Amino acid sequence: MPGPHFVVIGNGPAGNEAALTLREKAPDARVTIITRNLGGSYRPHLIPEFIAGNIPEKGLFAVTPDTYTEKNIKFRHGQRVVDLDPEKKTLTLDHKEVIPFDGVIIAVGGMPRIPEYLKVFEHSMLTLKTMEDARRWISTLAETDSVLLIGGDLTSLAVTKALLSLGKKIYFMLTEHAFWPLRPDEALFAEVSDRLACKGVDVISGKTLEGLASTSENSFIVRFDDRRELEVGMIGAFFGLAPDIGFLRRSGIRMDRGLLVDEYLCTGFEGVYATGDCAQIYHPELRDYWVSIGYANAEVLGRTAANNLLGGKDQTAVAAESIFEAEGINVNTSWWMEF
Amino acid sequence: MKTSGRILAEKVSKIKNSDVFSIRSHNLPTWCPGCGYFGIHQGLNNAIQRLELPHHKTVTVSGIGCAGRYPFFANTYGLHTVHGRALPVATGVKLANPDLTVFAVGGDGDGLGIGGGHIPHIARRDIDVTYLLFDNSIYGLTKGQPSPSSPTGFKTKASPYGTTEAPLNATLMALSYGATFVARLFAGDPDAITDAIVEGIQHKGFSFFHIYSTCVTFDKQFKTWDHLHEWVHPLSDEHDPTNLKQAMNEALEDHFSLGILYRRQKE
Amino acid sequence: MPHVDLTIEICGMSGDGTIAAGALLNGALSRAGFSLMAFDSYPAEIRGFGRCVTRTRVGVEEMVALTSETHVLISLDDEQSLSRIPFLARSATVFFDNRPPSYVPEGQSIAAHVEPHITLLGIPFGNLAAEATGTTRGRNLTALGAFAGAFDLPSEPFHEVIRKKFDPKGEKVAQANIKSFDAGVQYAREKLDPSIRGILSLPQKTMEKDDRELLSGNMAIARGALDAGLKLYFGYPITPATPIMEYLAKVLPERGGRLLQMEDEISSIGAVLGSFYAGSRAMTATSGPGLSLMTELITHGVMAEIPAVIIDAQRGGPATGLPTKSEQSDLHAAVFGGPGDSARIVIAPTNVSECYEYTVKSFQLAEKYQTPVIVLTDFFLDNRVENVSMPHAAPEEISDGNVYPDPALKGHYRRFERTESGISPRSIPGMEGFIFTTTGLEHTEKGIPDYAPQNHMQMSEKRHRKITGALAELPVPKEFSQKESLDVGVIAWGSTFGSALEAVRKAEKKGIRAGALKITSIFPYHADSIRGFMERCGEILIPELNYEGQLANLIGHLFGKEVTRLNRVTGEPFPASIILKKIESLVT
Repeated sequence: MPGPHFVVIGNGPAGNEAALTLREKAPDARVTIITRNLGGSYRPHLIPEFIAGNIPEKGLFAVTPDTYTEKNIKFRHGQRVVDLDPEKKTLTLDHKEVIPFDGVIIAVGGMPRIPEYLKVFEHSMLTLKTMEDARRWISTLAETDSVLLIGGDLTSLAVTKALLSLGKKIYFMLTEHAFWPLRPDEALFAEVSDRLACKGVDVISGKTLEGLASTSENSFIVRFDDRRELEVGMIGAFFGLAPDIGFLRRSGIRMDRGLLVDEYLCTGFEGVYATGDCAQIYHPELRDYWVSIGYANAEVLGRTAANNLLGGKDQTAVAAESIFEAEGINVNTSWWMEF
Repeated sequence: MKTSGRILAEKVSKIKNSDVFSIRSHNLPTWCPGCGYFGIHQGLNNAIQRLELPHHKTVTVSGIGCAGRYPFFANTYGLHTVHGRALPVATGVKLANPDLTVFAVGGDGDGLGIGGGHIPHIARRDIDVTYLLFDNSIYGLTKGQPSPSSPTGFKTKASPYGTTEAPLNATLMALSYGATFVARLFAGDPDAITDAIVEGIQHKGFSFFHIYSTCVTFDKQFKTWDHLHEWVHPLSDEHDPTNLKQAMNEALEDHFSLGILYRRQKE
Repeated sequence: MPHVDLTIEICGMSGDGTIAAGALLNGALSRAGFSLMAFDSYPAEIRGFGRCVTRTRVGVEEMVALTSETHVLISLDDEQSLSRIPFLARSATVFFDNRPPSYVPEGQSIAAHVEPHITLLGIPFGNLAAEATGTTRGRNLTALGAFAGAFDLPSEPFHEVIRKKFDPKGEKVAQANIKSFDAGVQYAREKLDPSIRGILSLPQKTMEKDDRELLSGNMAIARGALDAGLKLYFGYPITPATPIMEYLAKVLPERGGRLLQMEDEISSIGAVLGSFYAGSRAMTATSGPGLSLMTELITHGVMAEIPAVIIDAQRGGPATGLPTKSEQSDLHAAVFGGPGDSARIVIAPTNVSECYEYTVKSFQLAEKYQTPVIVLTDFFLDNRVENVSMPHAAPEEISDGNVYPDPALKGHYRRFERTESGISPRSIPGMEGFIFTTTGLEHTEKGIPDYAPQNHMQMSEKRHRKITGALAELPVPKEFSQKESLDVGVIAWGSTFGSALEAVRKAEKKGIRAGALKITSIFPYHADSIRGFMERCGEILIPELNYEGQLANLIGHLFGKEVTRLNRVTGEPFPASIILKKIESLVT
């Protein structure tokens, strides 16, 4: 009798840990991990260090494809899930292969978002999430000396640090969406501005972007609402990540911005779990949903989802106020924010 | 007055000085005295002489058997090949050099047994080869076994209780294979053989000669000279050699009517 | 010069246009200036429901063998392509149709089976073809275009071969096929991740384009025969020799010759002997079962000293065996087949060029030595395609090889005269004064049947002396080595030699003192040369595609100790990797 088939969608920190845990705890099961990206599981939080040239590409990867093979985990990379039926318990891949499962953990993470009002400038801005993005940043940075960062999520702070170490001139346009999904208060805002300015970053705040034109391949002219013009070599957009769950819109799984799951990370459909950046997790005390940020959390959540899929009843130990550190600043993250 | 000895000597001298014997090689035939093959031999040789075929442009191809020995006794190029395969070899010779006159000779065992599968194809290809099938209804060279044309009940050392098979009818077979010239003859009438072969050589296409003969050494019961002389008779004058159906009927009903049974008109 | 060595496979179900796509690929790569060797697999049964696989090894240097690994797999039918997955190299790329007409259950897509280190490229072949031409029929060409686009190959050579193939069917058909192809190229260039494409790029053509032509072993044989002045062909259909007959059936009449499909192999060889006897060059081509039927007449040719040229395209045996599989197991039959001491000449080419050369050569040899000459090829060699410089036979290679009698002997001619060389001058029908009769019976010098003891001794000796004399004109063994003293000498024949050479070269690169000896004259063989090579080797390895080690049986005794046999009868060409492994095991 063949064992059950467990599928993990996404091989970021959450998905990767989920798959490894499933394999460890259910040796007779068939475990498949599917991702539309190519390559092993990399640590997104190290990407800024990577583009700074401080770590080699190899150092980014927590797990290589060979590791999955060794552990008898079927690794389908470069293959995309386009549909999922939580009742029939099948998922469909882009190339029309229909895969039945006994349990699935959705860990697709998020993709960089660009707010509606800036979508018109989308093609001139670089986001930074995938290995491909990183390679593009590296090759573009080699040709330019000045960078404009717009937005201001946590990644942007790490990127600023990296770019400073490369000796680039940095302009940082803080918007009200700074630190998304956190709600910045004025004190926080100011503190961050100061710290950035101390490091030599040109902070632009309280302004709106009105125009953006490319004068050549690695040169842009940016115009603000105060008529001020700025010439920079490249522009990076950092508005946080939006859960990449569009493909599940018709599946019947409840979703808000992310997939809604209970405290055990279950979607409400038996055997269907979601975890990591793409999930909105119910907090019984708060009676509201919270989202996790940070790779360490992601790994824990991945393990938790796996354990629970196998029958466990773990809850992520999150106090009503959870605290994490970012660049020496303590930030409250327990509240979900409208954005 | 000339003595009979002298007269004979003169006759012999005349014959020797003519080229009648030139067709014969220096090898004396190894057939038994009284063998019907001598008659066929004479008939064929005379045909060659009559047409004045150059000997060096004539090729005789044979299989294995007493009949197969023929090429050694003729002053032509010869190919004494393996049992049953004279016809394909003759095909190769003729196609290689169409200027050659090509004969294929063999016995009934060689032609109707092991070689039986080749007759239909040379016939349907209508290769310009003249095939003489010496039919004495026995395997003589190997000392007397029944052949495909032996009658049912034929008793030999290899068939002590008598054969149980029906004999093949070579003339009928040749006609049904589509041979464009089919004649049935008798070794006891060399002149008729000569006449028919002359026509066969001149016929542009495959000519098939079914020639009855004796085996005086091993067949004392069936095809003896007495029996054959009694059985054979010429084809009726009404026989139309251009009518295939009639020829086939003739071959089926009467096994001993002799002559040219069929000759296809060439357009 | 950048090193290129890529094996590309196209795999599909019969009806997918797999073989056609493979042929176009070979043609285009050849035009682009690459060197290649290609070999297709077909379904064995006539109804042909089954897997078709084309394999092309392409590179810069001359190809002597196929590889065991595939670097590019183009899947036109995933279910069939699954069988090719175990052969994928670690860095292989797989192209598949990622928009099949309907949904498939888990495991029926090739995407479910490839290992993660394989680059899997999904391209909607069917949809692209339909968009470009209104039908999915050209999807095989779209897949080819996707490959060409992904690997940065120029489109022009592909367009040229597509036009050459389809122009006879009309401009519309040719255009539709070009559109199908271009749709694949465009998609690959625009939609595939440039980082992947970058890694896969082949260098542009790196060899000068010369007069190279794609030729299979069978076609090389047919061309060789024609160039040697073949006028008559007598044959019988048998796999894998039939294409020779079919090609000559068309071309011989155009050159004033004639082809007869005979009723069996016996009549085929009979007619060939009759033809040579009468002075005209003829040939027949067969395989194992046909050769066995020809045995009696072959020995007749030996005894009666009549020339013949027989091509034996070996296949899996014994008996009916495996008609569509490659094997080298007719050596015993070719050299020894038949009753009595019937030594005859047997030669075996190792590649397509030699198929041409040896076929040409066989006619002169047959005529001069008045014997059947058997040319041994094998299914792999017959059906594989190489792009070779178009071979041309020199006039002295195709001239009449017959030794005619001195005109002074007219009237005193002895056809089987015991001469010093053993070759008795032979006359041809039509020569006046030189009449003779050949016979399969033992005979005197004059050709009269004779059973005397001394005569048979002397005639046997004469015939064998004659055949041995052919050694001077038969291709000598050729050595491929870089050292005087070798640890392992590999001796191989037929198509296996290419694999042996490749293995030896790889062994040399690893520092092993290995060398290869190519043997093409199977009988008589150059014992002194072979022994000379063997004496310099610590071990002798003889790989063969037969179970009994037939070449080893023939020449093994020349070595001071036991030769190491390496026998394989899987029906597939001999993998070089297996020979290499054995070489390595012999030196450790």
